[in-house]
Amino acid sequence: MKRHLTEQELIEYRFKLASDAQMGEIGGHLGECGQCRGELGRLARKFAALDLLHEEIKASEDLISQVVEQAGQPRRIRLAAYRKLPAWAGAAAAVLVVGLLLVVSNLPKSDLYKEPVARGPGIAGIDEKETLAPYKFAAEGVGGFGMRPTADLAEPGISEQAPFAPASAIELVTLPRRDNVQLTIYNSADLTLVRERRNLTLKRGWNWLQFMWANTLIDPTSLSLEPLEKGDEIDIQQLVFPARLRELGRWLIRSEVSGQVPFEITYFTSGLSWRAFYMGTLGRDEKTMQMKGYVVVGNNSGEDYEDAQTRLIVGQVHLLDQIAELAARQYAYGRPGAEVVMLEEALDAGGIHLANGLFAPGVVELKQAVELLDRKEIKKEGLSEYFLYTIEGTETIPHQWGKRLLSFEAEDIKVDSLYKYDEERWGDQTIRFVKFANDKDHNLGETPIPDGDVRIYSQADDIGHLSYVGGTSVKYIPVSEEVELDLGPARLVKVEPVLMSFKTDNYMFDTKKEIAGWDEIRSWDMKLTNTRELPVEIEITRGFGTAYWTLRMDAKDVDYKKHDATHARFELKLGPRTKRTLGYTVTTYHGVREEAMSK
Amino acid sequence: MVNTDKSLIDAHCGGDRTAFGELVRRYGDSVLGYLMRMTGNREQAEDLFQETFKRVHEKAHTFRGLGFKNWLFRIATNAAIDGLRRQKRLRVVSLNQSVVCSDENCDELGAVTAADCCDASDEAIRAEQTVQVRQAVDELPAKQRATLVLAYYQQLSYSEVAEVMGCSTGTVKVQMSRALRTLARRLPDTSGGAQ
Repeated sequence: MKRHLTEQELIEYRFKLASDAQMGEIGGHLGECGQCRGELGRLARKFAALDLLHEEIKASEDLISQVVEQAGQPRRIRLAAYRKLPAWAGAAAAVLVVGLLLVVSNLPKSDLYKEPVARGPGIAGIDEKETLAPYKFAAEGVGGFGMRPTADLAEPGISEQAPFAPASAIELVTLPRRDNVQLTIYNSADLTLVRERRNLTLKRGWNWLQFMWANTLIDPTSLSLEPLEKGDEIDIQQLVFPARLRELGRWLIRSEVSGQVPFEITYFTSGLSWRAFYMGTLGRDEKTMQMKGYVVVGNNSGEDYEDAQTRLIVGQVHLLDQIAELAARQYAYGRPGAEVVMLEEALDAGGIHLANGLFAPGVVELKQAVELLDRKEIKKEGLSEYFLYTIEGTETIPHQWGKRLLSFEAEDIKVDSLYKYDEERWGDQTIRFVKFANDKDHNLGETPIPDGDVRIYSQADDIGHLSYVGGTSVKYIPVSEEVELDLGPARLVKVEPVLMSFKTDNYMFDTKKEIAGWDEIRSWDMKLTNTRELPVEIEITRGFGTAYWTLRMDAKDVDYKKHDATHARFELKLGPRTKRTLGYTVTTYHGVREEAMSK
Repeated sequence: MVNTDKSLIDAHCGGDRTAFGELVRRYGDSVLGYLMRMTGNREQAEDLFQETFKRVHEKAHTFRGLGFKNWLFRIATNAAIDGLRRQKRLRVVSLNQSVVCSDENCDELGAVTAADCCDASDEAIRAEQTVQVRQAVDELPAKQRATLVLAYYQQLSYSEVAEVMGCSTGTVKVQMSRALRTLARRLPDTSGGAQ
């Protein structure tokens, strides 16, 4: 074997996973190659870490006795007995259980701690965490999620020297349950600002608060902790990410007070997203529409958010770092002990920019950034459209769940049905539009309408059956803005242009007797057909390929408007089940005739 | 005279309660050790321990007399994988994660606990490395983890592991190889730390 051995080959050799032939071949190579021997040695040292879990584990006599006793009471028999219990026995048992719970809840907490209820971390389900953890802390002498008052608490002064690390496990406080939580979802950047309030029980002196972000998409660099009360007596000194402990951080808090203090914790996470969609139902006369707006919020952040107030941000947020990428790091800043960085933001047209260079070493002051982000309000001027969309009340959004929430509902929105024909844009198809405005006249206008898909239905009959008319996606609609929903090609309203005649005229010649200019005169008949039961409004746009043109309508009741330099536009109404021909003659000027025309 | 596993099982099936107790004592430590390494949590391991021997008790009549230990570990493996699957459904690791615990049962805080009992920084580093190893093993898929624990910690041969896992030796080697390659990336470097 002339090449060096791969890591896989070395592992298979080290753990005798390779076939005999391969073992011989690898062994032969190792005999000759110092580099591969060195690599094998490195791997062996690496795998030596596995021996750290080689501790001797003994099954206690209690456990064995329980198992043996259990074996002496076959389950089948117990189940059979249970099934035979009459209904009154179940009710009596329930009363007993409730009574027992009441008694237990009134016991001193130190008694409760003696119960063998403690469970290891990381594996406990949420119920275990939430119900068992307080008991454990209660046993330490301070209720709730506090910590045991240690000997130094009795001392009048607090050591000025901040501790390097917690002296023991008991010195650590974990985050208790949230009292409330607010999510602000910046959809465009896969970014959610989470603000949550929790009550921490502090002792007077130095406190360590430990948190983990394993299996979540929380950006640990963005974590910020602020006391909501007694701010002058509580000092958040530092946030440390201990070496070799994955996805775990500790805040060091110096407190002049002892007891429960409300804190606000803010951080960014990714994995939460939202999208809006709308359902419109046209009335029978298609002059009014009922519209419902929905928002679907999805949670893949790894974290459950219970009773969260949810706010959605419409607008573009540009980030230097992707939050999901930050969250995936083993250590918050790439390596343990690295500098804590300051996150600032720069506001720019079109949204918020977290621009390069604004990450400076220092103490975490994300709060400023958070407040800046948070106080953005509706701006409708220029390019900086930015809107905060708050969902009323609170919602529980568990991990991997999506939730559809009604965002608004409006009745009797006046709409105009409009059919458009523009060969250059849609070929020979007539396209149907529904037009309305996001304003009070249309029973809307309370808030801008975020981007989303719109589906329009119409009432097919008097008993409320609906038929699908069409769907489109809309861009952000500011208040007072008109919107036209493109519902796709119409089959019942047709526009067919027919060229009736073409001639050239007014030739002009230069000094060499060559043609220098001429006119082209075309006569068109636009054959319009409305096979619907309703009158319709049609807008026809015609292009001439030159800015030098004149147009003469055959009919007197319809006129044209110059849409732009090269296009004319006709607008007319067509009655139900009507056909009509709209004729016009257009003259285009070419060569030196352009000059003549412009004069 | 030492009773064989088979004779103890037969006696248990015949209604001898002491026979079952002897079996539990004989294999209790290794089964509990196996389940501890599978779950990383004493409480859960003890639950699964009880579940394992309950299944042994209920299925004793189906044991055919070849390799009680492998049969037992097969039951323990199934119980552990079922348990891990249940736990996976429930698992929500969050800022609320309970990592404060008593000195005895808290792996996450092993580092701190160790530091508490001994000032030597080596001890603290060693405890932190233990946490990392525990985490690396915990992150393996259940079958890879079971293979690793059976082969490395319980020191079963690959063919015995195959029997326990109900698959071929080749499959066991593939699982083992994958587990080790993953661990090679995740295990801490202990050469410079405490020895």
